[in-house]
Amino acid sequence: MAQVRLSGVEKRFGGFTALHPLDLEVADGEFLVLLGPSGCGKTTTMRMIAGLEEPSAGEIRIGGRVVNDVLPKDRDVAMVFQNYGLYPHMTVAENIGYPLKVRGVGRSERERRVREAAEKVELGALLGRRPRELSGGQRQRVALARAIIRTPTVFLLDEPLSNLDAKLRVTMRAEIKHLQGELGVTTIYVTHDQIEAMTLAHRVAVMNAGRIMQLGTPEEIYDRPANLFVAGFIGSPPMNLIPGDVVGGLFRAEGVAARLPGAAFDRPGVVLGARPEDLAVTAPGAGDLEAEVYATELTGEAVLVTATLPGGARVIARTDRGWRAADGARVGLRLDRSRLHIFDRADGRRIPQSQEVETA
Amino acid sequence: MSWPPRARRRLRRALHVAAILLVAAVFAGPILWIIATAFKAPRDVYALSLLFEPTLDNFRLAFDSPYFLGRRTLNSVIVTLGTLVLSLPIATAAAYAFSRFRFPGGAAWPLGVLATQFVPAVIVIIPLFVVFRTAGLLDTRLALIIANMSFVVPYSIWMIKGFIDAIPPDMEEAAQLDGASRLRVIWDVVVPMALPGIASAAIFAFVVAWNEFFYALVLTRNEATTLQVGLMGARTERGDAWEIMAAMGVVIIAPMLLLSRYVQRHFVRGLVAGSVR
Repeated sequence: MAQVRLSGVEKRFGGFTALHPLDLEVADGEFLVLLGPSGCGKTTTMRMIAGLEEPSAGEIRIGGRVVNDVLPKDRDVAMVFQNYGLYPHMTVAENIGYPLKVRGVGRSERERRVREAAEKVELGALLGRRPRELSGGQRQRVALARAIIRTPTVFLLDEPLSNLDAKLRVTMRAEIKHLQGELGVTTIYVTHDQIEAMTLAHRVAVMNAGRIMQLGTPEEIYDRPANLFVAGFIGSPPMNLIPGDVVGGLFRAEGVAARLPGAAFDRPGVVLGARPEDLAVTAPGAGDLEAEVYATELTGEAVLVTATLPGGARVIARTDRGWRAADGARVGLRLDRSRLHIFDRADGRRIPQSQEVETA
Repeated sequence: MSWPPRARRRLRRALHVAAILLVAAVFAGPILWIIATAFKAPRDVYALSLLFEPTLDNFRLAFDSPYFLGRRTLNSVIVTLGTLVLSLPIATAAAYAFSRFRFPGGAAWPLGVLATQFVPAVIVIIPLFVVFRTAGLLDTRLALIIANMSFVVPYSIWMIKGFIDAIPPDMEEAAQLDGASRLRVIWDVVVPMALPGIASAAIFAFVVAWNEFFYALVLTRNEATTLQVGLMGARTERGDAWEIMAAMGVVIIAPMLLLSRYVQRHFVRGLVAGSVR
């Protein structure tokens, strides 16, 4: 068990900066997810914590000890790789027991603990097989068992579910969450899948272009995205973003005029953000915006309505699964005023609204 | 006029068989001749007849003075195995380094190692002779082992490197995080996975070291003389003792035949394994 702390950690590959100086603290027992599109620096960050890459600058501490010059084998971290990193010439039991074998744990003790770890991930019956005789989900379990067989101070998981099919991903997600809760080991998890991040994390670090864009709980990230990148990255379908100006507390864009909550203020050059579930579809004239239905999609639990605003911009609203309308029909859209987001168009930052000033 | 299709097919088949037999005869004929001659009495040597009374006299003579087949076989075995035992670990370590680490100069190094092989042995042999004489290693097995390594190691490095290149680094990183040192990672993960490549290199090394003639001819006189050089001893002032040469030839060929029988499959699999991951 340990705290992980990165201070001013930076990574450059030649002239390319993969990671700008970064400060990050992961509490003991915390489940932190590094989330971002590919190339955002999340895997590089994890590999530096593992010791597989050397930081170009800065300091990495695990459990208070500076580990910059400590070899991976001596950092006492366990890692699960995207491609599992199993040893193809060893059986499942040998794979799981390898960390103990390297540490000189005796055969009988090793066999007992291999069986224990295998039971935990429901692999008990497959110990004699080789990795190539296993399905993707089973391989992932072997990798997990190998990581938990010795209780490491830190778990690192690098996109562990991305090679699994959608159904299995949901099951394994729950298993990982359960295991982490049961073992209470500090865990850093890299993914580009926001659902994984939202469901697993205590805190999420949303990364882009080598920088942390926002660090917070899943609720904070979803309810109060710190900038346009986070707003657009989190949520599916993504948040509707409408450029416009605030004049006397009224948000104005072409064909749009919506009163914002709180005191009246002026602010030109903003972007209004509203999540699809915070846009209600109403009769024409009854909402804040007038729009024309462009397409409707039934997802099963809801209907997604894509509508064109008078200015030509398209927005998506999530509405009741029984809702039906022909393409081209005129509708009104009502904004949920308590859940609107306003961003500065120039630097993309969130503009705190009156009711959230105290938290911003 | 045209042939009926059936006859044409038969003719084509007959031609195929004839071609195959011809090729087989070209390759197998000399070997059969050597094996047959080894068991012939001197007076039967020039008779191409396959009907003769087989005798082991040639082998008995060959093991005796002045041919010393036994001692020379031992020399050949020690030199060949010594070359293998020293070359393979060195080549594996070098192949790993070339595959995984970045050097100032980059790919120039592995290419440079290979480039040493473009210099003909005839050019190298004189300085090599001088060096071994200065070191007091002339006519020793060690000198031959070192000389053999000068061409076995570079080729082996390249053979093994191809296999190590194909091993995804994931596994090595996993092993490092599992607590293994770099050396342990190589031993536990890289070597088992590159084994087909190492085996190919071993077979290659065995064949070229066993058949090596030129260095052995120049660097040995009497004590460390190998089978291949010993073969020349059968050219006496009384003429060429073909039956003795043939007996020696059988001893030289024997391990190759065994090798091709038992490890050929492994060798071929090794050669293609890297390409079909």
